[in-house]
Amino acid sequence: MGKETGFLELDRKDRTYGPIDERLKSYKEFIVPLPAEALKDQASRCMNCGVPHCHTGCPVNNIIPDWNHLVYENDFRNALEVLHSTNNFPEFTGRICPAPCEAACTLNIIDQPVTIKSIECAIVDKGWQEGWITPKIPAKKTGKSVAVVGSGPAGLACAQQLARAGHSVTVFEKNDRVGGLMRYGIPDFKMEKHLINRRAAQMEAEGVVFKTSIEVGVSVSVNSLKENFDAVVFAGGSEDARRLDIPGAELPSVRLAMEFLTQQNKRNAGDDELRAAPRGSLTATGKHVIVIGGGDTGSDCVGTSNRQGAASVTQLEIMPKPPEHENKAMSWPFWPLKLRTSTSHEEGCERDWAVLTRRVVGDNDVQGLECVRVEWKDGKMHEVEGSEFTLQADLILLAMGFVGPRKAGMISQSAVDLDARGNVKADTEQYQTSDERIWACGDMRRGQSLVVWAIREGRQCARAVDLALMGASDLPR
Amino acid sequence: MSLVSMIGPRPNLLGHDAGTHKRLEVSQPILTDKGLAKIRSVEAALDGAFRTETIDMTWDAETGAEGLEMAIKEMCWAATEAVLADKNILILSDRAQGPDRIPMPALLATAAVHHHLVRQGLRMQTGLVVETGEAREVQHFCALAGYGAEAINPYLAFETIEEMRVRKNFPITAEEAAKNYVYAVGKGIRKVMSKMGISTYQSYCGAQIFDAVGLSSAFVEKYFTGTATTIEGAGLLEIAEETVRRHAAAYGDNPIYASMLDVGGIYGSRVRGEEHAWTSTNIGLLQHAVRGNVPEKYKEFAATINDQSARMLTIRGLMEFVPAAEPIDIGEVEPASEIVKRFATGAMSYGSISWEAHTTLAAAMNSIGGKSNTGEGGEDPIRFTPMPDGRNLRSAIKQVASGRFGVTTEYLVNADDIQIKMAQGAKPGEGGQLPGHKVDKIIGKTRHSTPGVGLISPPPHHDIYSIEDLAQLIHDLKNVNPGSRVSVKLVSEVGVGTVAAGVSKARADHVTISGYEGGTGASPLTSLTHAGSPWEIGLAETQQTLLLNNVRSRICVQADGGLRTGRDVAVAALLGADEFGFATAPLIAAGCIMMRKCHLNTCPVGVATQDPVLRARFTGQPEHVINYFFFVAEELRAIMAELGFRTVSEMVGRVDKLNMKKAISHWKAKGVDLSKILYQAPMGDSPSLNWSGTQDHGLENALDNALIEASAAALEKGAAVRIEKPIINVNRTVGAMLSGEVAKRYGHEGLPDNTIYITLTGVAGQSFGAWLAHGVTLDLTGDANDYVGKGLSGGRVIVRQPGHVNRDPLSNIIVGNTVLYGAISGEAFFNGVGGERFAVRNSGAIAVVEGCGDHGCEYMTGGVVMVLGKTGRNFAAGMSGGVAYVFDEDGQFDKLCNHAMVDLIKVSPEADEEEGAGRPQQRTVSVNDLGMGDMLRHDAERIRVLLERHHLHTGSTRARALLDDWDNTVTKFVKVMPRDYAKALKQMEAERIEAASVAAE
Repeated sequence: MGKETGFLELDRKDRTYGPIDERLKSYKEFIVPLPAEALKDQASRCMNCGVPHCHTGCPVNNIIPDWNHLVYENDFRNALEVLHSTNNFPEFTGRICPAPCEAACTLNIIDQPVTIKSIECAIVDKGWQEGWITPKIPAKKTGKSVAVVGSGPAGLACAQQLARAGHSVTVFEKNDRVGGLMRYGIPDFKMEKHLINRRAAQMEAEGVVFKTSIEVGVSVSVNSLKENFDAVVFAGGSEDARRLDIPGAELPSVRLAMEFLTQQNKRNAGDDELRAAPRGSLTATGKHVIVIGGGDTGSDCVGTSNRQGAASVTQLEIMPKPPEHENKAMSWPFWPLKLRTSTSHEEGCERDWAVLTRRVVGDNDVQGLECVRVEWKDGKMHEVEGSEFTLQADLILLAMGFVGPRKAGMISQSAVDLDARGNVKADTEQYQTSDERIWACGDMRRGQSLVVWAIREGRQCARAVDLALMGASDLPR
Repeated sequence: MSLVSMIGPRPNLLGHDAGTHKRLEVSQPILTDKGLAKIRSVEAALDGAFRTETIDMTWDAETGAEGLEMAIKEMCWAATEAVLADKNILILSDRAQGPDRIPMPALLATAAVHHHLVRQGLRMQTGLVVETGEAREVQHFCALAGYGAEAINPYLAFETIEEMRVRKNFPITAEEAAKNYVYAVGKGIRKVMSKMGISTYQSYCGAQIFDAVGLSSAFVEKYFTGTATTIEGAGLLEIAEETVRRHAAAYGDNPIYASMLDVGGIYGSRVRGEEHAWTSTNIGLLQHAVRGNVPEKYKEFAATINDQSARMLTIRGLMEFVPAAEPIDIGEVEPASEIVKRFATGAMSYGSISWEAHTTLAAAMNSIGGKSNTGEGGEDPIRFTPMPDGRNLRSAIKQVASGRFGVTTEYLVNADDIQIKMAQGAKPGEGGQLPGHKVDKIIGKTRHSTPGVGLISPPPHHDIYSIEDLAQLIHDLKNVNPGSRVSVKLVSEVGVGTVAAGVSKARADHVTISGYEGGTGASPLTSLTHAGSPWEIGLAETQQTLLLNNVRSRICVQADGGLRTGRDVAVAALLGADEFGFATAPLIAAGCIMMRKCHLNTCPVGVATQDPVLRARFTGQPEHVINYFFFVAEELRAIMAELGFRTVSEMVGRVDKLNMKKAISHWKAKGVDLSKILYQAPMGDSPSLNWSGTQDHGLENALDNALIEASAAALEKGAAVRIEKPIINVNRTVGAMLSGEVAKRYGHEGLPDNTIYITLTGVAGQSFGAWLAHGVTLDLTGDANDYVGKGLSGGRVIVRQPGHVNRDPLSNIIVGNTVLYGAISGEAFFNGVGGERFAVRNSGAIAVVEGCGDHGCEYMTGGVVMVLGKTGRNFAAGMSGGVAYVFDEDGQFDKLCNHAMVDLIKVSPEADEEEGAGRPQQRTVSVNDLGMGDMLRHDAERIRVLLERHHLHTGSTRARALLDDWDNTVTKFVKVMPRDYAKALKQMEAERIEAASVAAE
């Protein structure tokens, strides 16, 4: 709380975006950071609440009031220290987190939350810029080794924590670059990938060994990991995409969002088309694109399609349109259901809600999509009679979420128990699977979720592994 | 108060060398590094009179937690050896701490050495100084002092401040920064000492005024000999283990602690820090539950409080119920609508919380038959009758706190309960404080004070210095409103049972045992964490002591402080509570989100603020509070069914239905033993375990019964009556019951002046003219005891000498101590000298007296006092409002006055040309205008008017003489003007002129 009355005197003012016509020309990030003075002003709006709701709202429990105060005092170095004490990768969350902290902010009661996410991002960006972020090499090695499977946010956080505790950590990644869904699922215009490289370099200096293009369960067996490492952590994400089970879904231009996004990310990384699109190029250029699924991945498809020069983009959602303003009395400080409009939406697309797809129209390839409107009553869906309509379509991208981790390969080979939802079964205290040598964290354990939840799980799992290996752990939960 | 500390030996006063020895005096006990260095080198400077020895209070990290016990022994031996080697200042030091040396907890080390030397008979031969990196907060210094530290050098605190000063570019020097810290700590220590009623550091030092909560008695007996501990708990090994863990965090490999440790989260929750009962999650759940009336969400909320398997927060969390062999059907349990009548909301004043929040609680409680509490600070009379929309905003419980703000007769007769706040669980020993910026016009009016002037409640009630005094106050209040229960609010601590038994014997109808958990929003930080005790301890002791003394059934016992759920209520009932107070939880139901910014006036949800912009953000509804209480009652009903109780009455005091949880595996909690709390005291002659009887207040003997009868014409028709009676000193509180009758009928306005004129002859008992209403005059020829005109609410009290006696009124004490305490309005004329604390906390009455004792006009906030003779010392201490005129014949008054808050102004004989807010008038106009005119002006005129009134009513020869020699007289009067008051009056004048010019345009 820099200033007791800051929140009464200053309005919320957040980072701005580059102009739409400019940003559509490239895949670069387009957020304009706040100038130093404005940032300090925004930090001064924090009230240092007696019960800091943001602190609980944030899945990694970022100690937000403390670093807000430090930013107000222009003490970025200590702010960075406090920030890193709960979050391994603030430069990721500072860009792509939906910021449940801001939903929980006391000032969100009047829709004026502190710009927590922007302040977080500014702290860590400055840290990198000033060269304050250096490898934290453990003083002592424990002699224990851990294999972490998967290099998404959960795997990376887990690996970094374990390495810092002195364990020898090897991260296995089936793709050619580390980062998991952050690398190939999230478009560059939301987060540029050199940020991941930079972190990975730090981690390598801390002793983490990355083995890419190795798929556990395929090119190396789970048993060999168990033989060669003292502990194995499954952090392979929730990659089994929900499929569209309607007539015509087998047509060639009905594709998974992740395939579409991955290709573009690889192109941006400088890969040639052969490497970027081994199964053939998939682009939206000049096409009428329909994105099925109203979530963040869908929104990423919208943004990418527009950049590729789609003729039109339409995004469909089966659930009804959420309210523009949540009922604060019944939602705050928790995450509210409300209409969220992303920067990609602002760049141009049609959005429609309570729409069920019936049939993909087309002989050899997609020509249209037949839909019907639905109504929801008591959690049950009913088609509205006579509301059928058909949309023109050349490309249909499926962004309907993920049903769980892929079972083939690693999971089936390890034979660990799954929970009722098909995720790897483990609790949030021990993170241990039914195989006592295997731990699981992130989306693979909890199902599809946010990057920030993955970081939390990775950190907590690291502590559990450390505790199991050493009998005691200094790592924070 | 004094922080002077004497370091060094205290030789036998009766010995041969008595009076020849040297002792080192420091002006306050916090030593800078330089100060400590001086002490170390004093041997050379003072020819060897002082010989210091530094004793290490760290231990070898290799030996781990087990090593501490031996290390303490060795340290104690080293202390003995040093004293025997004729060293007379021991410096316990943890400077040797480092990766290999663990610092002992400084308090443990200090107390261990202190008691070790006491046992060996050597303590008086040496001084004890502590050099520690651990002490940093006020409580740390107080605890060290309490266990024998004569001076403390908190070197790490100084180093930290210096580091901050440099890093943050503070625009002060290193010395200034250290000095400010020492000053702040000193102020904190004084505040703590004042809470405990101790005036000097030398008395506080070694006095060990502490209760231990959660320490084993073997441990306490060995190292903190004589300290009370009720529930057992951790011993040396656990404390050692905790210390080792702290050391490991500081010197271990954990990367997140490489350059900074966790902040701890004591004052605001933080990850990896202290657990707090209220969390973001359960605040959210509770608010959604009450706003949407969703029982499931309440259950989720209650589970976060009740299930203490992972988070151990309260003593009751370590208990479990003994279910009945055959549970009863919940349908047989009394309905929730009956249970909620036992619920009350806590004492939060209008002023500390907003109008909206305060009235929401009142409306809710009135609609369910529970009780809300005014808190300290009066109540707007508009709330005494239901609103046009039918809402009843009257607070059933009217609090009487030490400040007596707004405690008028009308206020008291509008009570169902009158609560005497002896102390407040959240900040025991402290009076409330309302900063000036929170005192707006309406609050000023409610409190009968000046807007803009901060209000300080004195720590003690100035009419309570003993249990007999408390009995007197209970009697006074009962007289004003015989239909109301009189309650006494106490703070839970070891020994409260004895006080509660005294309270019951003093005929209180109701006693509140207030725990430390509650209402901490605006408490000073020193009170937040280490003051007060859990209510479980105090409540159990109260129940047991009341039973053992056969005074249980005649008094209603209420528990409050951190009650949140039905389970909490069930435990409180089983431990002996008939009724239950809630403060924070209903406030959260009404929208509080635990900002803990109550003192800043910036509450963003409009609860604890007077800022109109923020108040507009208040969204609480009485229904939210009502829903909350019904949820609690329903949860309680389920527990009652399980335990086999049909009514709460049956349940009260049934400790046999509580057990300690069997499997407590937490490493620190496993030594806890609740058998003292769960002890079932024998019932003796008591007919029941609960409140089932009444107190005998003896009101039928009051003189007022006859006065009321004789005043029938005045009360019914407003006709003037004249009464003449003799009086003797068993006639206590004369005029109060009559005034209650007046106020019931005519409110604060009362009757026209002199409607009831009572002439009395003789000696009046205590509290003569207490809460005397406007229109009643008591004209006593004789003299009166203490507390004359207490709470005077518009009436006139006259005490004059009998004509036939030949005493000098200027030296004859005619009224006792603490006269006009908390007076609101009215007039008092005393033809003689008043005792000590004359007109203490007067907020509006005018009084003329011919001399007074020490501490005259202390804490006064309004009204006019004129002293025609000598005053005692410390006149006007803490005086923030009103004016006093002192006839300073010999020019000595300047020395007798406490100048901290007031200016002394010569009175000009010239009349002021400008009228200002009006000129003084010969007679009072109404209860709200005593005809004193503009206090910034017209002093000479006002003095003349007061002298004339005094002469008129008492026939004072002194007044006559001064009037006759007017030209001389007027020049010898000194006006005592509080600075804040003058500032506020000028501000109001500016506003008045501004408003007038706006109106003119």
